[in-house]
Amino acid sequence: MRRLLFFAIATFALLNPAGAESVITLGASVQETGRLANTGRYYRDGYEFAAQAINERGGIKVGGERYQLALKILDNQSDVNLSVRQYTQLLTQDKVNFLLGPFASDFALADSSASEKYEVPMIQGGGASDQIFSRGYKYIFGTLPVASKYFESTVQAMSKLEPVPKTVALLYADDAFDVAVAKGTRELLQNAGFKITQDERYSSNTSDFSTLISQIKAAAPDAVLVAGHETEVLNFIRQSKSLDFSPKLYSFTVGVPTADFRLALGRDGDFAFGMSSWLPSASQKDEYFTNAQMFADGYKKRFGYEPDYHAASAVADVETFAKAVESAGTLDPKKVRDAIARIDFESLYGRIQFSEVGQINLSQTVVQVYNDNVVPIYGQKGFVNKPRYPMPAWDKRP
Amino acid sequence: MSLFLQIIVNGILLGGLYSLMALGLALVWGVLNIVNLSHGAFIMLGAYASYYFFTLLHLDPFAALPLCMLTVFALGFLLQRYVLNLIVRGPMFNTLLITFGIDVVLTYLAQIVFSADFRVVNPSYAGANFTMFGATLPLVRALAFAMAIALTLAVWLILGHTRIGRAVRACAQNLVAARLYGVEPRTVYALTFGMGAALAGAAGDLYGVVSQINPYIGDPLTAKSFAISIIGGLENPLGVVVGGLFLGILESLTSLYVGSTYTDVASFGVLVLVLITRPKGLLGRTT
Repeated sequence: MRRLLFFAIATFALLNPAGAESVITLGASVQETGRLANTGRYYRDGYEFAAQAINERGGIKVGGERYQLALKILDNQSDVNLSVRQYTQLLTQDKVNFLLGPFASDFALADSSASEKYEVPMIQGGGASDQIFSRGYKYIFGTLPVASKYFESTVQAMSKLEPVPKTVALLYADDAFDVAVAKGTRELLQNAGFKITQDERYSSNTSDFSTLISQIKAAAPDAVLVAGHETEVLNFIRQSKSLDFSPKLYSFTVGVPTADFRLALGRDGDFAFGMSSWLPSASQKDEYFTNAQMFADGYKKRFGYEPDYHAASAVADVETFAKAVESAGTLDPKKVRDAIARIDFESLYGRIQFSEVGQINLSQTVVQVYNDNVVPIYGQKGFVNKPRYPMPAWDKRP
Repeated sequence: MSLFLQIIVNGILLGGLYSLMALGLALVWGVLNIVNLSHGAFIMLGAYASYYFFTLLHLDPFAALPLCMLTVFALGFLLQRYVLNLIVRGPMFNTLLITFGIDVVLTYLAQIVFSADFRVVNPSYAGANFTMFGATLPLVRALAFAMAIALTLAVWLILGHTRIGRAVRACAQNLVAARLYGVEPRTVYALTFGMGAALAGAAGDLYGVVSQINPYIGDPLTAKSFAISIIGGLENPLGVVVGGLFLGILESLTSLYVGSTYTDVASFGVLVLVLITRPKGLLGRTT
């Protein structure tokens, strides 16, 4: 009899553990190793930093109960196929509540099919390609501004420069993001009256640009716009120097605002234009991090490197889930999805609000590198600082 | 016309770089019949070695060249002596598997130790160039080209005119007879593999100056080196130079006249053609 009582109490205690935490788990498959690991780490670290900050402030309140945020992050080794399998695993085996995205449009494009199939919302901050949002999917949201408009502020700034550049060469890699950028940029350039002298597509991960650079040099356009990833942009600039190619202006979709880019190039990176949808300014307020400047400082202290817009975008994704779940008042994926669709709040990354197709609407600020500083040049309200234009020849640089 | 000349010059210099990369693989393959799938990883390690010599000891990449070669030589020697020697007389498939495994281990070890941050070696002359006949030649590439020729000649001299070279060729031709002559095959194999690794290290030394270094640069380089070795032929060290030049010029011309996205199609297409029509490579004998 006593034994029976003992077992009954033990079973009851096991089934109702006192002090069990309610947890909301966010799952993600991120490039922690492999050729995209250099940028993938911003997402892993951004997600962790955000989850920790939210938990420190009491977590998420759902219907009177407090939930802590937990993360389940898998390494997809920069392999798209593996990342799709991992998202399926996160949903079917690990049964995470919601999904955070990978880096890169190629990945977001493939992985969002998993979130759509299982009807669990995914907020990704790594894919900007319009293709991701043009399939009528309801469960994918993105915090990177739309790829086809990446060069919009650059083209606007270009048409206001003196002397105005007349001819432009457009160079782009053959992945989902850069193809989308090129498509939009072509229209932007034509509408603004620029003549496109070259419109060249190159293989992703090209390390040798000498032929392309020689061709562009022979045509001598005033400006060169390059849509590619960081390592390609780095190789392009270094090889431009060694082939003595220096247009009046060159602008790159990625790389320029990032710290290790400037570290790698040193003074060779000067005069390069780029863009960022985020700058660590103290006037960008945030509920969990006070403001963007404090976020940047705290991030650097914790992880040992400066964050850029990738990290800020990742943090915005986690904050959006926190707000959406609180707004929906439930963990039901469909209701949370609807809450995300109507969300509207200010964060360190900017105003979080999604369009009908699920993409955020943020404008890019044109930036320029000079002497290891990223100088904002042109924003929504016009010129913020004077651009260093035209770019001097390599042997005439200060 | 001047653009065409520039493209040809680009192709030749690119070819020089390619030859430098492929030399180590071709040597080990041609002489020892070991296809080293971790060749690219050795190049990557040579690149990291030159990066650390440059940033920590302020050694110019050309000055650090013997050191890089020595470092990677040591790694290659030890790997061959204690790991690969166990399967060197087994089926070819085993060497492919083991070297593939070594490649994965080295790459991911590099990721853990060095992180995926890309690094560059930026000596003051990294962007220097000079003009010749209206074409701009990047200085570093021209030097890499010269180095490729010099190293190929060195390999040819060592193999043909030194005692150790004769021992290496003897082992490759007839192992039993070589042993009867007092050659110790395990050491000879290890030395040869080490030489191949050292050559990879030399290519890696320059790689950080012309491109950027991260743990994953190895695999595409192994594939390219593989193609060049086959195209040029394995019987003659000069074959690598011919193969490299051929590929460099072909890729540059393809990029100019067909489109930049077709360079891989062209290079691997030529590989297939060579395998069908001249399987011993462009410099190999047809009989």
